[in-house]
Amino acid sequence: MEKRQDIVLGLIFVGIGIFAAWMATSYKGASGTYPMVLGLVLTLLGATVSIKALRQPTDQPRALVNAPAKLGTAALVSAIYVALVIPLGFYTASFLLVLAMPLALGFRRLVYALTVAAVFMSLIYLVFSVLLEKPLPRELILSLNAVGG
Amino acid sequence: MEFYTNALSHVLSFGPLTAMIGATLLGVFIGALPGLNPVMAIALLLPLTYSMDPLVALAMVAGIYNGSMYGGAIPAILLRIPGTPASIATTFDGFPMADRGEASKALKIACWSSAIGGIASAIALMTMGPMLARVTLFFGPAEYFWIAIFGMASVAVMVGSDPVKGIMAAVLGLLIGTIGIDNLSGQARFTFGQTWLLGGLDLIVVLVGLYALPPVLQLAEKCDLKGLSAAQLKLADVPFKKGEIRGLIPTWLRASGIGIGVGILPGAGGNIAAFLSYNAAKNASDDPSSFGKGNPQGVAAAECGNNADNAASMIPALALGIPGNVVAALVLSALTIHGLQPGPQLFHQNPTLVGGFMMEMLITSVLIFALGGAVATRVFAQFQRLPGVLLVPTILILMCVGVYVINGRAIDLWVMLAAGFAGYFLEKVNFPLAPVILGMILGPMAEQSVRRALLISRGDMTELVTRPISAVLAAVTVLVIVWPLVKMVRRRRKPAEQ
Repeated sequence: MEKRQDIVLGLIFVGIGIFAAWMATSYKGASGTYPMVLGLVLTLLGATVSIKALRQPTDQPRALVNAPAKLGTAALVSAIYVALVIPLGFYTASFLLVLAMPLALGFRRLVYALTVAAVFMSLIYLVFSVLLEKPLPRELILSLNAVGG
Repeated sequence: MEFYTNALSHVLSFGPLTAMIGATLLGVFIGALPGLNPVMAIALLLPLTYSMDPLVALAMVAGIYNGSMYGGAIPAILLRIPGTPASIATTFDGFPMADRGEASKALKIACWSSAIGGIASAIALMTMGPMLARVTLFFGPAEYFWIAIFGMASVAVMVGSDPVKGIMAAVLGLLIGTIGIDNLSGQARFTFGQTWLLGGLDLIVVLVGLYALPPVLQLAEKCDLKGLSAAQLKLADVPFKKGEIRGLIPTWLRASGIGIGVGILPGAGGNIAAFLSYNAAKNASDDPSSFGKGNPQGVAAAECGNNADNAASMIPALALGIPGNVVAALVLSALTIHGLQPGPQLFHQNPTLVGGFMMEMLITSVLIFALGGAVATRVFAQFQRLPGVLLVPTILILMCVGVYVINGRAIDLWVMLAAGFAGYFLEKVNFPLAPVILGMILGPMAEQSVRRALLISRGDMTELVTRPISAVLAAVTVLVIVWPLVKMVRRRRKPAEQ
């Protein structure tokens, strides 16, 4: 497991290094030399990691993910949240996230989650919108209300 | 002395003072919650400090850093779960003390030891920082190039188990640092025609992703649905025996010295300081067999050692612009956010700010005495009743709002997610993340310094190693890189020969 992971890791970095060095050939003068050297060094180091792993006599178990289903769920919900922040608005998407993420991970105390969501989002609103006056993605629900009105 | 008296009057004004009190409390709270750590908290905080006064922003960094180092002791003592990696050594004797009904006493010792370690460390920073800054006035571009490479190399080979992966991480950081317009020639590099990449990848965006998302994903994997019960957090008061506190003084002195020494070294963190201090206390004890069974000296050594590392790690960061650990790198980021250039010139151009930050490190350490007492500790321990699954979305929201307000761009949220997922898997294959960040910070400095040195010498590469200081720095850098590799090869050969 560990051996295979290190071989792949090294090869990924060999790829990144070669790509960077190749890209750097098109940059003029000294601005290309530095990234080209870095690319070549990265290639060399990546190859060293792979070769070292190949020559390793033993292969220790090393889990890349401890709970694949939970990690996959968290990653998917996070990605959906980021995708919805702009179209739905920050506060709407965030409120939905505080409810959806625990539910997706198996938490079934809805009133508890709702209370935490309400308290937390109120705090976020107070700090970011009232106190710091940070501009955040506009709420879709407010735009719809304005159109309706 | 005038340097500090001027700074003190600014630090004790309303804004920095309230920021220090609030951030120290927040720090204890963050440290007390397993899964959250000071790096994550400061990374989340930095984007919000753009519009703040730099002294207020740095007061918050100082408070969170010192507070969380103590806060980590709360779950370490009560539950044998280290709140931060630096409090692992605290579990050895803290939990056995709690197990025999002395949790309150162990927490008090942890609180006092943290404060004493922090104060000693801040005094070291205030005395050694300006001295080191004076030395660096003799440095030219070649020396700065080697200083940057030395800082990165030493961190790269010291963190993690494999020096090759450490160096690879630093080179990756250097490469990421080249993305965007080259300041010297105007050439766009690795932008793939995307205008949002012209300014390069924002350090804070990558940093929040790399450091804050992996712990969030780990919390999701653990899937804690219940939190702790009230019974698990009950504390009873146990009085100190006569002479017990006085007996801790030699341990505090020893651990403070060790923590400061470790803090100055690049790459070594609070956890190493805590382990070394713990071992030193055990070796110096008349009864070493009592360690690990609830000896208060063990708690005192570990907590004093990990807090003594804090301010000392800022010495090379503030004087040379070379961060020795990730929190120091974050402090440098906080300075650059406010348009300040870290390094020796900072002491001359912004004495109030540098002196003020040093005072803030000292004051927040003193605040631990007042704010981290038994009552506050009882309150903070209650937050552990919150189910871990509820922390996952709340931290994610804080990350997103922090990243979004930097540039007001949705693309930064995706960059943060990508960096976070990459960070999660890279950590799993023992690929250290700190050198990536150091590479991103020090890369532009290294590149500009080497190109300036070559411009001055009209392309003569020997200029980089012929000046006395640069020659010494180059030799030390080579040694720092080569020595761990030689050791690694020797270690491999030994079992083969046997």
